[in-house]
Amino acid sequence: MAAIPESVMTAGEVRAARALPRWAVLGAVFGLVSAASIALWGPIGVSGTYPRFIGALLRQLAPGYAGANTYLVKMGGFAKPETFLVLGLLIGGFLASRFSPQRAPRVEFIHSGETSTAARYRDAFLGGVLIIFGARLAGGCTSGHIISGITQLSVSGLIFGAGVFASGIFTARLLQKGGR
Amino acid sequence: MDQLSALLVGLAMGVLLQRVGASSPALIARNLRLENLSIIKFMATTIAVGTMVVYLAGLWLPMHFDIRPAYVLGVLGGGLVFGVGFAVGGFCPGTCVVGLGEGRKDALFALLGGIFGALVFTLFFDALLAPVVKVMDLGKLTLAGVLHLPALVVAVLLGAVFLTAVAWLPTEPGRKAG
Repeated sequence: MAAIPESVMTAGEVRAARALPRWAVLGAVFGLVSAASIALWGPIGVSGTYPRFIGALLRQLAPGYAGANTYLVKMGGFAKPETFLVLGLLIGGFLASRFSPQRAPRVEFIHSGETSTAARYRDAFLGGVLIIFGARLAGGCTSGHIISGITQLSVSGLIFGAGVFASGIFTARLLQKGGR
Repeated sequence: MDQLSALLVGLAMGVLLQRVGASSPALIARNLRLENLSIIKFMATTIAVGTMVVYLAGLWLPMHFDIRPAYVLGVLGGGLVFGVGFAVGGFCPGTCVVGLGEGRKDALFALLGGIFGALVFTLFFDALLAPVVKVMDLGKLTLAGVLHLPALVVAVLLGAVFLTAVAWLPTEPGRKAG
């Protein structure tokens, strides 16, 4: 993008161009929030709530099986702080979009292979299966391993992050080329 | 009390993820194609500020650290599977919840996929996965432990590296300057 000389910009535009970019300001605030979380109760993490939700369901539907499944027993009950964090994400997303000048699109096509709404829903569902399966295999996701993990200097967070971006970048480029 | 703190942290996180655009699967896909690096730079900034603040504040305040074990096969394999899903769907486990709050219909499909993925994992974990994923377990290893340096020193170094990288990298590498 060609830089516009400041002499032809209005005062507001000069301020906006000199100001820190949005990702930097919001990233710094998120860093403070993630540190505050560790000070208050523990590091942020989202993906463990999915199997705890399965556990809560199965304890109602098949209590014998749920009590014998070592993974569900290990993950524990649904009343953990993390469940409330996920509830906060839902409310936060709702409020932020309510008070946003533009509304989020109902559906976004994200790569050239998605030519219909049905294809988009299929990709979102398949992506959802893989991210949770992968996250549970690794014991954490973008928040638990990458944000909280690397914040705490953990080697596991660095390994997970390297894996995610290696296969994520490879797959994203492949999907874009393959669909053309 | 922990529940209330977690709810407020989640609320702030949801607002931040929505406002930076992380709940837009199209923007995630553009980041993974390296056409736009805003979300990657947002995450690196979060980690840089978080690690320096938490270890500095940790000199005075008690911290609830929780280091996850580095069982290499499971963590790396899980990361590789996660990356494919991240690129295919454009959501992560948190951003699909934020997206649902925004009223995105594809986020609902990602969330349902995640619940299905958790069910499959739960059903197969005991029999198939538990014996495999935990091999090559290095334990709760940190960079500070590997380097034999105080955590605060490593945090400041890591933070400086990440902040230098995000300041130096272009946000939209696809757009040619000039």
